[in-house]
Amino acid sequence: GGYTQSPGGFGSPTGTQAEKKQRIRSQNIVPCTVSQLLAAEHVDETFRIGDVEISQVTIVGIVRHAEKAPTNILYKVDDMTAAPMDVRQWVDTDEAGGENVVVPPGTYVKVAGHLRSFQNKKSLVGFKIMPLENMNEFTTHLLDIVNAHMILRKNLTSASRVPQSFSSAGIGDMGGYGGGGSLPVNGLTVHQSQVLNLIKNCHVPEGMSLQELKVQLHNMSMSTIKQAVEFLSSEGHIYSTVDDDHYKSTDAE
Amino acid sequence: IHPSGKLFVLSDGEGKHTTVELSEPLEEEISGVIEVVGRVTNQATIMCVSYVQFREDKSPFDLEIYNEALKIIHEFPEYFPFG
Repeated sequence: GGYTQSPGGFGSPTGTQAEKKQRIRSQNIVPCTVSQLLAAEHVDETFRIGDVEISQVTIVGIVRHAEKAPTNILYKVDDMTAAPMDVRQWVDTDEAGGENVVVPPGTYVKVAGHLRSFQNKKSLVGFKIMPLENMNEFTTHLLDIVNAHMILRKNLTSASRVPQSFSSAGIGDMGGYGGGGSLPVNGLTVHQSQVLNLIKNCHVPEGMSLQELKVQLHNMSMSTIKQAVEFLSSEGHIYSTVDDDHYKSTDAE
Repeated sequence: IHPSGKLFVLSDGEGKHTTVELSEPLEEEISGVIEVVGRVTNQATIMCVSYVQFREDKSPFDLEIYNEALKIIHEFPEYFPFG
């Protein structure tokens, strides 16, 4: 059905009949900049950035202000792309106080939460606010944002992906997703495209096994195949069937 | 750091240096990786509005990779808008 167009999510092939339960569609958690969140349009019950639907997001920024109230803590988090964003963290009043320690201003944090809009003002309801222990996570987040939005947007605009990169000589072939260097074609590296294609063309009910993939792709090591499978699976292109060694494509006919 | 405490020099991921000026002298000792928010002046220095010291107690910050990341995000303003 028309479900295959929407951004992957966790690859759960529960062909939900779309319209009513819009909340089921955006199952992703998308890394964003505050400026993107502020620019997102609020359509009915959902938010869109460009054409990408978002609901759960992550942002990374500095706490500029923290205000503690009996039932919640209100932070203002600044990622320098726009004015600091309000992030509300609800406090469990049932549990003994010590659970929620207020993060001090001047700390870099990663916030995972839901985007909300109230009277045209955007804010986040944070379900997880973590001080960054490793500042390299900040760098990764920046790249994650560009990568995620690029892939999500590409997924929407390309109906059927027939990766031409199959025969082309290793573009971005450094075995790298998330590594350095050139951005892969179609959001997938050559290895990943090859693995995905084989899985897509497999019509057996229990899907394509890792052993079968290794047989068909004799020039690829098992660990490369496994890496590709893990990546494709987390992006929602494939899902495991009888066990972790068998996969089917979410785009399969 | 300049003796008056009102100036310090930073070097970035490519080894280039820049001078940062403060409106008031530093009240504390700073070292390591600093993130400065400020305005660029005509003399190509930065007038500092605020700064933050990066935590490096658990793991060191890779400045070169950060520099590369910056170049990438500037290449894709459609995915990384600066409000």
